[in-house]
Formats: sequence, C-alpha cells, structure tokens
Amino acid sequence: MMNRDAGKPSVGKPLPHESAMLHVTGTAAYIDDLPQIAGQLHVDFVGSALAAGKIKRIDINAARAIDAVAAVLTHADLPTHRNLFGPIFNDEPFLAADTVTYIGQPIVIIAAEDPAVVRRAREAVVIEYEPQQAILTIDDAVAAESYIGPKRTICRGDVKTAFANAPHKLSGTFRSGGQEQLYFESQACIAIPGEAGAIEIISSTQNPTETQAVVAEALGLAMHQVVCQCKRMGGGFGGKETQSAIPAVMAALVASVTGRSARVVYDKDRDMIVTGKRHDYQTAYQVAFDDDGRLLAVKADFLSNGGAYADLSTSVLERSMMHLDNAYYLPDVAISGQVCRLNYPPNTAFRGFGGPQGVAVIENILQDIAHFLGKDAWDIRRLNLYRDGDSSANTTPYGQIVRDHVLLETLDELERSSDYRSRVDYVRRFNTDSQVSLKGIAMTPIKFGISFTTKFLNQGNALVNVYTDGSVQVSTGGTEMGQGLNTKIRQVVADAFGIGTDRVSVMSTSTEKNNNTSPTAASAGTDLNAQAALNACEQILTRMADFAAILLSDPIAGLTPSPSSIRFAGGQVFDDRNPHRRIDFSLFCSAARRERVDLGARGFYATPGVDFNRDTGRGNPYYYFTTGAAVSEVTIDRFTGELVVERVDILMDIGKSINPGVDRGQLIGGFIQGMGWCTNEELVYGDDGRLLSTSPTTYKIPNITDIPKIFHVATIENAKHQINVYRSKAVGEPPLMLGISVWAAVKHALGALRDGAVFDLPIPATGEAILAAMESANQSLCVSKKLVP
Amino acid sequence: MHGVPNDPPSPVRSSIVFYLNGKRQTASGDTLHVTLVNWLRNHHGLVGTKVMCNEGDCGACSLLVGRTDADQATGLRYQAVDACIAFMFQIDRCHVVTVEGLATSRNAAGNIANHDLTAIQQAMVDCHGSQCGYCTPGFIMTMHAMVESDQRLDDDAMRYGLSGNLCRCTGYVQILEAGRRAAEQIASDPVRQKIRLADRFDEAVMIADFRALGSSPIASVGAHRTFIPQTIRQACQYRAAYPNAVFVAGGTDYGVLRNHDRLAASDVIWLGQVDSNDRSAETSGVRPRVGFQEIVVQDGRLTIGGGATWSVIERAVAKIAPEYHHILTRFGSPQIRNMGTIGGNLASGSPIADSVPFHLVLDTELELASVRGLRRVRLEDFYLGYRQTALEPDELIVSIQTRLPKENERLRLFKISKRRDMDISTVTFAILANIANGQIVDAKVAVGGVGPQVMRMAPAEAFLQGKVWSPETLRDAGRMMRQQVTPWTDVRGGADYRRQLVENLMIKSYYPSKLSITSDKARSDDES
Repeated sequence: MMNRDAGKPSVGKPLPHESAMLHVTGTAAYIDDLPQIAGQLHVDFVGSALAAGKIKRIDINAARAIDAVAAVLTHADLPTHRNLFGPIFNDEPFLAADTVTYIGQPIVIIAAEDPAVVRRAREAVVIEYEPQQAILTIDDAVAAESYIGPKRTICRGDVKTAFANAPHKLSGTFRSGGQEQLYFESQACIAIPGEAGAIEIISSTQNPTETQAVVAEALGLAMHQVVCQCKRMGGGFGGKETQSAIPAVMAALVASVTGRSARVVYDKDRDMIVTGKRHDYQTAYQVAFDDDGRLLAVKADFLSNGGAYADLSTSVLERSMMHLDNAYYLPDVAISGQVCRLNYPPNTAFRGFGGPQGVAVIENILQDIAHFLGKDAWDIRRLNLYRDGDSSANTTPYGQIVRDHVLLETLDELERSSDYRSRVDYVRRFNTDSQVSLKGIAMTPIKFGISFTTKFLNQGNALVNVYTDGSVQVSTGGTEMGQGLNTKIRQVVADAFGIGTDRVSVMSTSTEKNNNTSPTAASAGTDLNAQAALNACEQILTRMADFAAILLSDPIAGLTPSPSSIRFAGGQVFDDRNPHRRIDFSLFCSAARRERVDLGARGFYATPGVDFNRDTGRGNPYYYFTTGAAVSEVTIDRFTGELVVERVDILMDIGKSINPGVDRGQLIGGFIQGMGWCTNEELVYGDDGRLLSTSPTTYKIPNITDIPKIFHVATIENAKHQINVYRSKAVGEPPLMLGISVWAAVKHALGALRDGAVFDLPIPATGEAILAAMESANQSLCVSKKLVP
Repeated sequence: MHGVPNDPPSPVRSSIVFYLNGKRQTASGDTLHVTLVNWLRNHHGLVGTKVMCNEGDCGACSLLVGRTDADQATGLRYQAVDACIAFMFQIDRCHVVTVEGLATSRNAAGNIANHDLTAIQQAMVDCHGSQCGYCTPGFIMTMHAMVESDQRLDDDAMRYGLSGNLCRCTGYVQILEAGRRAAEQIASDPVRQKIRLADRFDEAVMIADFRALGSSPIASVGAHRTFIPQTIRQACQYRAAYPNAVFVAGGTDYGVLRNHDRLAASDVIWLGQVDSNDRSAETSGVRPRVGFQEIVVQDGRLTIGGGATWSVIERAVAKIAPEYHHILTRFGSPQIRNMGTIGGNLASGSPIADSVPFHLVLDTELELASVRGLRRVRLEDFYLGYRQTALEPDELIVSIQTRLPKENERLRLFKISKRRDMDISTVTFAILANIANGQIVDAKVAVGGVGPQVMRMAPAEAFLQGKVWSPETLRDAGRMMRQQVTPWTDVRGGADYRRQLVENLMIKSYYPSKLSITSDKARSDDES
C-alpha cells in the first residue's frame, strides 16, 4: 500500500466519535427529527389481536369514512406475489391476509396528516377472527413438529463410544431467554414519492440494500426506482437488520398510493410488541469428561424459538451451533440444531447473532463440571482451551483451524491482573462466614468467529470523492448506529491521503452511491467497508502519484518522475527523495483536476478464503476470531436473590485498534448488554402470547447503578495477527458474550450452598430465578448428581 | 372552609407565562394539555429533546425546569424533569432550558464550535460518552441539573443523579469518566466555564416578570379547561365548580396514563402552584397541620404537606429517618422525584407505592380537604381495595403526619424490584419492632405487592408479641404471613416468588441494616 510509510497520524488514536459534537448539542438528527414535508402523512397500523387465528372479516369502511383519513390499506392493496418477503426464505407477509400468526402482526395500514385522526381511524377498524390454537412454547412446537428450515448437524468423531467409555457424565437442558434490542430510536422511516413512480426511503436501517429491494418488490418497481438512505440510527443492535423493512414498506405503500410523503415512527411499546428479538433457546446436552475435567465428548441439541416466520433464524442457529465450542477444543462432538415455529413475532438478529446462546451452553457445562469435581472452574476452562499450533487441540467441530490467537496468554495475564486466586479464596471464606450474602466469582472466555457464515455477504464497496480543495467525501454501504464505523472510516481515509480527519466527511449511507451492499452486521462493518474505502483511496492515490511524480520531478536536479517515491502526509504532497519541496494537498488536487486526473473512485473488498457447507457442517466460515476473557465477581442477597456485580476485569485481543476510544466503548457497552441478557432482561408473556414487558418500565436494561464499581478493561497484544484492515479486529459482538461471566459467577455463588450438587440456573438469572435456586438448595430439593443413565 | 362552589376566584390569568431558553413565551387553551416534549418538538421545532419510552422511565427527554424558590431570594432553582410526562400547564412561571439552550452561538447548520460546548458537553465528546447519541441530550441536561444543585460529578453522585437516564450503548462507564473529567474542568476554572445557567441567562428579568404576574390563579378555556390554583381553597372551589376536573399533583402517573390513552383528556386542576405555606382549609377552626408543601419535624412527628415533592422529602428525612430516606433514593428516578408528590402517591392507591409501608407501621394520619371542609383519616382506614381509597372524588390530601420510630424501636424497610433503581417494586415491606431485653414487646408489619393494597399483617403481629427476637421467630411469623398474603403473578414476578420474599424479608429484618450496597454514601452526603 502506497502511503503506509507515511505513518498513521489518525489511525490508532482515540479520536471522538465523528458525530459526538452533534450528539451532545442535540443536533444529530434521527428520522423523527427530520422536518415535516408539507402534506406529510403519519402512518400507523392495526395489528392482530390474536397470536393465532383465521381472519374472517376486515371492515375498514368506518375508518375510511373518517374525514382527513388519507389511506386505509390492506393486503388487497398488495398483489399476493408481492406481499411476501424474507431475507432467507420468502415466507413473511407484509400484511396478514387470511391468517394471523402473532399478536401485533400488521393487518391494516392507516395514514392521515394528524396523528389523532390516525388513532381514531385505528379504533374504527373492525377485524373478526376465528381463534386457532397458538404454539407458545418450544415444547409445544416440538410436539406439533412446527419447524422452520431443516435440522442441521455438525459432528466429529465417535460420540457414542466416547460416552460409553467416559468416567463422568452430566446431562441436562439449558434454557436461555430472549432479549429485546431496545435501540432507543424505535423503528422509523420516511418515504417520499419521486418522479415516474420512483420512491425515496429514509430509514433507520442497518440494511439499506435489503430495504431498497424489499420496497421495490412490494411496489412492483425495479430496484433502480428506489433509493434508500440512512444517515444514522439511534441504535440498532441487529434489530434493524431485517425488521426495518416492514415500516419501510408501510411508508412506501402509502407514499405510492397517495402521492404524498409518509412517515412511520413506532412508539416504544408498539415496537417491542411487534418486532423480533434475540431467540430464546432450549438445549438438551450431554457431556463426558475425565477426572481432571477434560472434555471428552459433547452432545448438544439446540432448539430455538424462531417466531412465526423464518427471518434470519436459520443463520442465527448456525452461529449457535458453531459457537458451542466457544474457546474450547471438543474432541468428539455431535451438535444438532432446529428452528421451531412459534406464534410470536419472527425473532431476528441481535448482537451476537446466536453466539451467546451457544457459548452459554458450554459455559454452563464447564461450571457444572468444576462444581461436580470440586475443582476450580478457571482451571477446568484453561485445561480445555484451544491451543494454537497444537494439532490435537486446535480444530473446531466444523473443521476450521483456530490459529494465531492468544487465548492461553489472555487467561494467564487475566489471572494475574485480576488477582483471581486470592479473590476466589476470599469468596470461599466470605461464604462460610456471611449469613446474609453469598459471593461468587467466575471467568469466561470468548472466541467469536468473524465473517458472515453466508459467504456472499462478505463484501463491501465504497465511493471516495476528492474535491479540488483537497477535502474528501467517503460513502460506503456500512451504516452508523453508534458503533463508530464512520469514525474509523474517516480515520482510515484521512491517513490514506495524509490529511486531517476534519478534511474527511463520511456521508449518509445511500443505495444511490453504494449498491448491493451487505447489512452492517456480524461485527464486520469496519472490516468490509474500511477496507473497501481504502481500496478506493489506493486507486485515487495511484493516479495522484503518477501526476505528482511528474509535477515534482526536476530533470535538472536529476529527479526523474517516480510515482513510488511520492508521499502524502501532513496535508502535503512530496517526493521522498526531495522532501523539502512540498505542495499543499488542496492546491495539488486543484492542479490534478486541471490535468484531468480522476479524483474519485469506487472501491471494493471481498473477504478472502471464507466458505461453509451447511449440508455437511464443514468449512472455514471465519476469516479470523476475536478472543478475550472476563472475570466477574458478584454478591447475592441470601434472602431476596438480589444481585450486585462488584467487579469486572476484561482482557481482549482486538488486534491493532483503529480507534481505542471507540473500541473501549464497544467492549464495555457489549459486556453490559450481555450482562443485561444474563441478569435482569426478562421478556414476560401472557398465556395468550402477548408480551407484557413492553417498555423500559417493565423490561429492565442495566441502569448506571448496575455497573460494577470496579471495572477494568484492557487489551492484549497479539503479534501473530497479521491480517485485516490495519491488523485490527472486529469488536462489536464478542464482548457481549463476556457478560456470561456474571451469570457463571452467580452459579459459582450458588454452588457454595451445596457441595457437588449441580444447579439449574437459566438465563436470565433474575432475582426471582436466583431465589428459586437458593430455596431449592435450602430445601434439599436439588438433584445431587445428574448422571446420564 | 366556607367557599361558595360556583364562585371561582378572580382576578385570574388565562394564559401561562414561561421562558424557553431565555425567551418569553405564553400559552393557553388546548396547548396547555400538550406534553412539554411534544410542544417543543412538534409545535416549536426544537428536536434536540428526544423521546424513547414516553412514560418517564428512560430520561431521554430530560431537560431543565427553573423555578423561583421561596427560600432563595435571587436566582432560579433548576431541576431535571422528564418532558414526556410533563404538561404545558406545569411550566407556568418556569424557565425551561433544553439542550439547544446550552449553545451560546451556532451557525445556521447547527454546527457549534468547540469552545462553545459546556465543560460537560466537551467531556462527553472527549471521553466517548456518546455512541448512538440518542440518549445523550438527556444525559447532558441531567448532568447540568446536578451541577445546578451543587452535586459533584463524581462516581457516587453520578450513580445517584443519573439513575433516571438509561443508555443502551455505552455501558455508562465512559459517561462516568466524562463526569469526572467535567468536574475537574469546572473545579479548575469555574469562571471561564460559565457552567451555571445563571451565567448564561438573565434570570433577574425572568424573576421580575414572574413576580409581576402576582399570585392570581390561572383559568384557561379550551376543549378542556385548565385551572392552576394558588391556594387549597381555590383548588377545592374549582373542583366544586367543575366536578369533572381531575386533580393533578406531580403528574407522573397522569402523564403515563394520558400518553397511553388509558385516561381521556379532561379538565385539569394542577396543584403544583399551591403556595408552599398555604393552609387555607378548615373545619370548625381546625386548619391543616402544615403548609401544602412544607415539612415539619416536631415532638417525634414528621408532618409533610400533601404537595411536597419526593426530592424535598428525601432531603428532609435523611437524618431523622435513614431507612425511609434509603427507600426514597430508590423511588422512581431523580426526575420523577422532582415532580411527584407524596399526596399524589398516596392518593393513587397503588398496592406497590414505595412510601406506604413506612407510613402504615408508624401511626399515620392524613388530612383531606374539600369545599365541605377538612377531615382526618388514619392511613389504616384510607385504603379500601385495589386502587380504592377513602378519598372522596372532590377531596385532596393536604397533609400526612407520621410519628418517627423511637429509640427502642427497630425499623426495617425493604423494596424489592427486578432492577435496583428506577424500577417499580415487586414487593415492599416494613417492620417496626419494639424490643426489650431480646423480647418483642410489640411489632407492626406492612407488606405491599402481595395483595390488592398494602396490608398490615395482623396475625403475624399478634404472634410476634412477647416472643424472643430471633431469626427463628421471624421465620415462623413470615410463614404465617405467607398464608395471609394473596399475591398475583405479573410482569414483575410470580406469586410464589412474592410469597417467598415475604417470608424471607421477615428473617432478613433480624440482621442489622447495611445501607451501603451501591451509592448510599453519596446519597447521604448530598444531604449534609
């Protein structure tokens, strides 16, 4: 790369988020902050009152008769073949026609200028149903064989023989609950009708290309007639990867029918009731291990709640299956996975994308093994780690070699830095003495595969425009949801041209500039888009260098044109052989244009070498792994089950960080979100399948007072990592799974109540769940040894 | 009180007067029934204040409301308020400061130069205190509110002061770091930072304007009427004249119900401007024990005006009733406590109202006023069933008198909720035990969240009398209580969990209080 020698004044620095100034002054605009366009319609919808039923009658006459109602639309306004979408399987209707399959499922769209009129019209819609038996638990789905997609397997070795010969075995069923993304900006979209049937969509979406495609299909347009753009989201976390499509289609349909611009902004309750979440799982497992706690064989059968339609569920499940191993070598292994179809909103992407549900199963197993054997869980985990370069313990169940990692070093460093050994002693003494509290401490690691497991998604493109004053605009397919993608791209592009970040603007994401892009997901936003932007910069720099070589050459001084000697640094252009003569970058750009040098380029990047065969369960789906570990210490009130997280130490290998400030935010924010999943974030449903925890009032994400008072976050060097953009690593999702260490610490604490007894503790470990576990121990109700028969 | 029902007071004002970011505004009629955030965003084009939950549970819409303070001769006193559940009728004679109001200058595109940021804003930028940015204006405004009330932006104070602001992205650590950084900046150069709003706005003009408005009540007509009485008597007279009007105290319940269409719009009598010292209700010469927003501690009794807000009560009880104070620091959020009143809380009749168990075990008496006069009701007789009270529709609670625990009495209060802070209780609990020589002379126990109303546990109280004070005794009493309570299963927990909590909290009450779990140090220091 031509400009690498010039140093990296921006890359590697903890520069503020590129929108931070706008955030703190309230001038960063989200969808509902955009000015009303004259005549703009507010759009809302009537959703299903039942989790399962047949629609007998939809009467919209009264709603239509209300003055000032601009549109009342049903499935009849969408040709049948256009009323279906889905990122993997085309199975989900935009508007329910004959049957309803979850509470809140959109049936009738209403639009009016005045939100009060929309509310009145909603109430005037009459829908009659014939109720049907809803499937509301995974067990019911299994009984009814209500599935989505095929059952998948990943297997290695001879599990049967391994179990037959194993000295110890445990088995059980592990349950983890769903999780609401709770992005603060709820689903929102504005559709603006254009010329000749074209539509412009301004959406809070992680997936502009998919939104464009889905709107085009629903409206019967070609993709070139639809532009989708997104400046920023008020949070996404996966919840706007596919599910932003429904509000977009609603707004687009209204705009198309009425010829007026249309705005959809869900309120938070509506958003939580109708959108999909992290999948809840039920996983039956068996494990065989030796006296030291070494894993010999693992069998796990994942069942996930996919909700009513496929959405991304099969991909999510695939990642769960591929993260059962987490950071551990599993010698003989048999993993199966099946998505179940239940009468809830289709569950979808959420930071971790199935990873947490897989990792939690093996961490539960290892915590149980330690307790069962009366050994320290840290030692059991270390014993089973993947070992770099050791062919007897470096290959995943799906056949990919885990290489160039520092898992062992991470654990050993963390053991020292967290003072684990003396603290675990302290915890033991504390639990002997205290009558009112219990303490627990646990470490869990993470090894998270980076890349989409669907090969074609591993691509990105970027458009870089250099202007004649030397300022630069860069546009990529990546979307900004707070994670700092645009901040990093800005740093990378600024360094490429040797200019300050203030001379680089990262523009709104738009399908007009970047086509056929992948969702900003899988932690791969920077990997794909910064690399694509760099590729565009290099094309421009090559042309610039050719021109500069001539411009800066000096035949009299014997300085022949030499593009490879041209440097771009400090806002100047110079020949490295004669660094005293420098041209200001802005003057240079102006001169370049006059000499007809192309100062714009489109870059492209495709991740090399990744592929996976899901029929055989074999392949190399990941470009690399992001790894790390966390130690958490908790205190539990013995009478109430109330939990306090006292201290957390995180140590992660995130490569050479492009922005350590942004990445630190991802590590902490991800961890706390994972902690929320493991502790207080409980989705509660009524017997009819209705979500009861529909707002922050009843769904409790971590509060500032839940943050551990001692919170150490550090990164570890990994000289072996030599790939990816500036040798960085993806950071968005992996730390979320370190939140499992909090849950494991709770389990460790409960273990103090009875030696050798293995406890069931689900995720989330709410105060209620913890108290129930303690009461079962107090009343000697727990099963002492859960041996496989 | 001898008011004539159809004789509303006069003269009256018909519109409210307030300042928004230093500029004078008036509003009247139906506008008064719009929430403050909707007015700012939809009517006034100020979209820096964000809405997430629309029910006062996330703090994204936090802004500052400054009022003249009776105790404070000069200057406005600013508090953070959730603008999503505050209505326009609540901001008469207030200075509303939004995030836009923090800017000293900006260009048309809204770009603000570095030096224009406040120390708090700059620290949030530098410390990566924002990610998606949606909650950020709310955090900025709440941090400014902390500075306005002389709180230090250190970790303990921030954990207390920001417990009403949720963030989904950052995990808060970098926000805490920004607080520390801002505190250093403010301490190092207090003049140049111009951190106080008094340095940014001409408060004298506003105060003079507010004073010139006098103390006439407000009556505004529209699709729904708005009354803002200045005395208890006026409040009662308005209610008598307009029987469909609802009393609104802090509005923290009212706003939630209105936003969710669970309560239709109606005529409103807002009590927030009833004078702090007002005692204009009487029967046969008996007048309320304290002014409407006063708090008096005398002869071992705590007497609180019905209009006192929780943040005022919280400060007042820190020394005299630490257990109660501790519960109040976990009541709603700072924003909610700045608005909500004790009268409103007790009148709502909620079985999980955090304040009730304390008052129920300590011989509490309420004073209720209407045009028919003043009457006194014991709290035990006040609650009749699920959200049913002895309050007549035209009555309002003007005072609450509670005796304080004596030295030989042991008081323990518990609030159990899914999340420690800013959460509605699953179970609330109070025990007051008079113990002599290791024996229980008598005991009172009250439990909330396990039945239609907060309940006294009479059988267990009788059982405890004369027993040895021990975990075993308490467990046995707790098991009796398990049988007495009738909990339900809901989003906050199962019936079995609640029963178990009732039993276990009895045992827990044996062990000494440990008010130290999260930020109690800061919470008590704030009062000193």
